[in-house]
Amino acid sequence: MTSTRDNPDGPAIEVRDLRKSYGSTEAVRGVSFEVERGEVFCLLGPNGAGKTTIVEILEGYRSRSAGEARVLGLDPADGERELRERVGIVLQQCGVQGDLTVAELIEMYGRYYKRGRPVDDVIELVELVEKRDARAKDLSGGQRRRLDLALALVGDPDLIFLDEPTTGFDPAARRQAWSTIRSLCDMGKTIFLTTHFMDEAQHLADRVAVMRAGEIIALGAPGELGGRDLRPAEIRFSLPAEWSLGDVPEIPVQQRSIENGRVLILTTEPVVAAQRITTWALERGVDLGHFSVAQPTLEDIYLELTGSGGEPEREEAVR
Amino acid sequence: MSSAATGAFGRDIGLVGWQIRYEQRAYWRNRGRGVFTFVFPLMFLVIFASLNNGQHLSTRGNIPYNAFFVPGILAYGVIATTYINMAIGTAILRDEGILKRMQGTPLPRWAYIAARIGSTCVIVALMTVVTVGLGVVAYGVHLRAGAIPGMVVVLVLGTAAFTTLGIGITRFIPNAEAAPVIVNLSILPLTFISSIWFPADTMPSWLKDVAKAFPIRALADGLQYAFDPRRTGAGLNAQDIRTLAIWSVVGIALMLRFLRRPQGE
Repeated sequence: MTSTRDNPDGPAIEVRDLRKSYGSTEAVRGVSFEVERGEVFCLLGPNGAGKTTIVEILEGYRSRSAGEARVLGLDPADGERELRERVGIVLQQCGVQGDLTVAELIEMYGRYYKRGRPVDDVIELVELVEKRDARAKDLSGGQRRRLDLALALVGDPDLIFLDEPTTGFDPAARRQAWSTIRSLCDMGKTIFLTTHFMDEAQHLADRVAVMRAGEIIALGAPGELGGRDLRPAEIRFSLPAEWSLGDVPEIPVQQRSIENGRVLILTTEPVVAAQRITTWALERGVDLGHFSVAQPTLEDIYLELTGSGGEPEREEAVR
Repeated sequence: MSSAATGAFGRDIGLVGWQIRYEQRAYWRNRGRGVFTFVFPLMFLVIFASLNNGQHLSTRGNIPYNAFFVPGILAYGVIATTYINMAIGTAILRDEGILKRMQGTPLPRWAYIAARIGSTCVIVALMTVVTVGLGVVAYGVHLRAGAIPGMVVVLVLGTAAFTTLGIGITRFIPNAEAAPVIVNLSILPLTFISSIWFPADTMPSWLKDVAKAFPIRALADGLQYAFDPRRTGAGLNAQDIRTLAIWSVVGIALMLRFLRRPQGE
């Protein structure tokens, strides 16, 4: 009766001109993208940009107002069991039956899937071995999030949705979560991730779509986003008082200026520029302070694209 | 149905069985809510039955108070473990996002609800055995064997009505914190006019009519019939059964309305 309409060579997710309105406000305004199989695709954007709306449409929790959406070849709005068998979901905030233990919960949720994974494999994968028999309500925030991940993985899904998986984590816990997510990619899973952390997108994603106010405003590999690879590098250093900007040798510069008492040189040829400046300084005995060469970070690009850090975060407004 | 579809259905029935076990485990581990709803009625049984031991009810042909109160508190116990527990429990499941999480898994929604209802039936059966057992052993009440069929029918219909009403009323509970207040407000006043704690035989007739419109009175009356030494017969009172059946239909309709709404929007 159920014939699979999924073409394994086709994209894992296909979205065309997706729209979602709540009353008169349009939360998602015509978004299109494709996610390849085995790819880590990241929706990056400030809170309120429409990331969760898109994920929840793809997960089948919300209906769309217009446009097309296909997840593993199926329409998520149909709520088909076949799709739920193959998709793992980590929601942004989601409770769990707190009176059951980690092992019991993984076993229980595993039974819902046709190809449930062995309980202890999953516990090991998310590094909850020492909390195996602890009740879910007694876990710390980070451990709870790892349990969320375990419950999303227990059905051995082809595609995993992670909605802000590391919000509220300390840096060490975040690194640990990243390595778990990386190991999922190594298993060939497709991962659809949302985050408002630039470094998270940078570390995990093959491709990033930057969202602002319901639209995708840039899409590409983290290193190339917004023409990041083509941007001039920034060379910064301080000059001793007896030297001035005019004394610095001619180099293929795009722009030179003094910023906060330090020289800032923008150049598309940072290697040549750095070599000339340092040679000049060594020959004349000029003591250059805080010498640095930097490519614009993803954060710079992101802030530029989303405009002064984007809209105020809704959750922060409440606090 | 094709054999593949029958196979899938068989697997889902198996899943319901497993899920009942997990629900049971979680219920008995939850000292705050789960066990409380079970122990509370038994506590009342011990207090009131001990206080009034040896008393007789003049408005009911001088039958012993406990022949009236043991089945009355059983009715309350059934309501506590079905209606009260289901309504508060479902509000918590909804607010914490557990319903949403379950919806994202391949477990069919009907199977999950069936398991929660199944688990409640186990608790009702235990509640019945413990209450009747205590009543017979400690308070000398007598359950007439001939009335057991009627008692079973009333218990099954009562469980059906109050379980589904408990799920259905969640629609009107704005958040889990408000649940205990709303649930108790909707049930406690009615228990006083429904002859649970004492016979409400001398109250004005309009109040009696109010009580008769609700299923608490019907459940208590149906159960009290089986313990009333003046009665004979199978204990099948057409009016009680009709009231409980109507409320079961109302409960099922309310439950289905609650379940049709997807979690998330």
